Amino acid sequence: MKTRSTLWKTLALVAFLALLLAMPKIARNDYQVRILNMTGLYILISLGLNIAMGYCGQINLAMGAFWAVGAYTAALLNTNFKWPFWLTLPAAMVISAIIGVVVGLPSLKVRSHYLAIVTIGLGEVINIILVNEEKITRGAMGIPGIKRPSLFGFTFNSEQKYYYLVLVAVILGYLIARQITRHRFGRAFRAIRDDYVAAKAMGVNTGFYQILAIVISGVYAGVAGVLFAHLNTYISPDIFEFRSTLFVLTMTMVGGMGNLLGSLVGGILVILQEALRTFKDWQLVFYGVAVVLVVLFFPGGVMGIAQRWRERQATRLASAAEKEEAGNPPSGEVR
Amino acid sequence: MTKTVILIQTIVGGLGIGSIYALVALGYSMVYRSMGLVNFAHGSIYMIGTYFGIIFYRGMVAGIHLPYWAAFIVGVLLTAILGVLLERLFRPLANLDLMLMLLGTIGVGIMLDNLAIIVWGAEGFAVRSPLPSKPILVGGVSLLPQMLLVIGVGTLLMVGLQTFLSRTKVGKAMRAAAQDREIASAMGIPVNFTNAITFAIGSGLASAAGILAAPIVYVNPSMSAAVGIKGFASAILGGLGSIPGAIVGGLSFGVIEAISAGFISSAYTKGIAFIIMVLVLMVKPSGIVGETTVEKV
Repeated sequence: MKTRSTLWKTLALVAFLALLLAMPKIARNDYQVRILNMTGLYILISLGLNIAMGYCGQINLAMGAFWAVGAYTAALLNTNFKWPFWLTLPAAMVISAIIGVVVGLPSLKVRSHYLAIVTIGLGEVINIILVNEEKITRGAMGIPGIKRPSLFGFTFNSEQKYYYLVLVAVILGYLIARQITRHRFGRAFRAIRDDYVAAKAMGVNTGFYQILAIVISGVYAGVAGVLFAHLNTYISPDIFEFRSTLFVLTMTMVGGMGNLLGSLVGGILVILQEALRTFKDWQLVFYGVAVVLVVLFFPGGVMGIAQRWRERQATRLASAAEKEEAGNPPSGEVR
Repeated sequence: MTKTVILIQTIVGGLGIGSIYALVALGYSMVYRSMGLVNFAHGSIYMIGTYFGIIFYRGMVAGIHLPYWAAFIVGVLLTAILGVLLERLFRPLANLDLMLMLLGTIGVGIMLDNLAIIVWGAEGFAVRSPLPSKPILVGGVSLLPQMLLVIGVGTLLMVGLQTFLSRTKVGKAMRAAAQDREIASAMGIPVNFTNAITFAIGSGLASAAGILAAPIVYVNPSMSAAVGIKGFASAILGGLGSIPGAIVGGLSFGVIEAISAGFISSAYTKGIAFIIMVLVLMVKPSGIVGETTVEKV
């Protein structure tokens, strides 16, 4: 029974991967592939937010700013010093991590809505710096002419080719996030989220892990920023405003906060939002209504619904087993 | 001009903008105190409230041209009614945990913002001040009449609110309900009613702030985010849930902004104000006048 379900799972996974690999061929035009690429980037940011908020309970509403930090690091190093993608990526990761420590420090003193406004504030400060330090960032004009990455002479110069780069990044990002959340770090994170005082009493170095959670979320957004800069080849500060943070927050909560698969499912929201474009002005009104409905009726997001369904299945199986014990085997169970 | 004159002028300007933040912050704090709800749609209520008044002043509804003071009253009343309706919508959100509350109220904010864009268009407009635009000179200090109106009416509203809460029966019931929901309702106070009144007053104050500020700033639907965040920052700075805290927080936020704009760097005004807010919270997480809470296991 068990091997059979594992077999089915493997088959489903292989089919899903094949579908992912074929997506650029299925898509009708470059625009649709661009949306898939953006979905991938949003999923990366969402994974980071999920680790900080869903697993560790640290509200980080500076995600848009981290995204910007990654993108600007890549753009500046690439256009000024001709650093290729493979060097701007680690550089941006290091810088996002350093900014992560700065944004994370207040989490030692303040929590919940206080931490929310502190991270919003610090995020705004980063954005204000990007707009005003015109000598370095060219301010609101943005930075054009960022080169597409290449590997051993192969250049990712089309949306379709870039898609595979994003796909690899998302898969790696997911696997790393799974590794982080399933082992020591993850246990410490959840202990802090569920009961801060108890975690501290049990000897968890709460301060270290709180900052670490925000650093990790910052690095995820930073990587998404690098990928965005090299994909779009042009960046300006307005792309990374506070509403981008809100969008990632909604997508993570709709998918399921505290469950990494939720971030992947939340990616559908990016596509859904594009689909709502046919309603023009009403697009965002419907979007707002949808968000409120999710909060009121499905507070656990899509993954929460899946969880509830599994629990129901489990109780049904349990009651069936009870019946069997009572000497009344349900029909169709003989295999 | 001497340095002191410039300083006084800057501080008065800061108090003007600060009164606006304080009125907005009061909405956050009152609702938080009575319902435990952090209302991230409050910036949007401010924006809608501004339109509710200004559309009558500019004759945008069936050509009705009201004088400024009448448009002010109509706008505040309409927004208060909107507040009562929103309270009904927010009631189920108040019992959820912070993240869901955040998302639910943000969802309502997105709805309101985009409905405003559909009804009034995304482009904004400048509003003519009902008072002369020529500055009044007082001992070398030049003051904008509209700014004095903002400070005057703002102070009047804040004093009025304090008197209402401490002297009237409804006000006392509101304070009781905010302090302990269960006991208040056991004593026969209709808690849902007092919450609705709280929401109405909070929304009305936001509308008053918006209509007062309209001749100084540019009116458009996207102004909700900036004022919403600054109002919330003010409420937190003073101590979320505290009425004097909201006033102190708002005024300090305004003055800090004005001083950093005048003396340090106009580009970094907002940034400096946020950094000071973060520093204050690091030293005193409960805000300037907020009560310190001890976490119990």
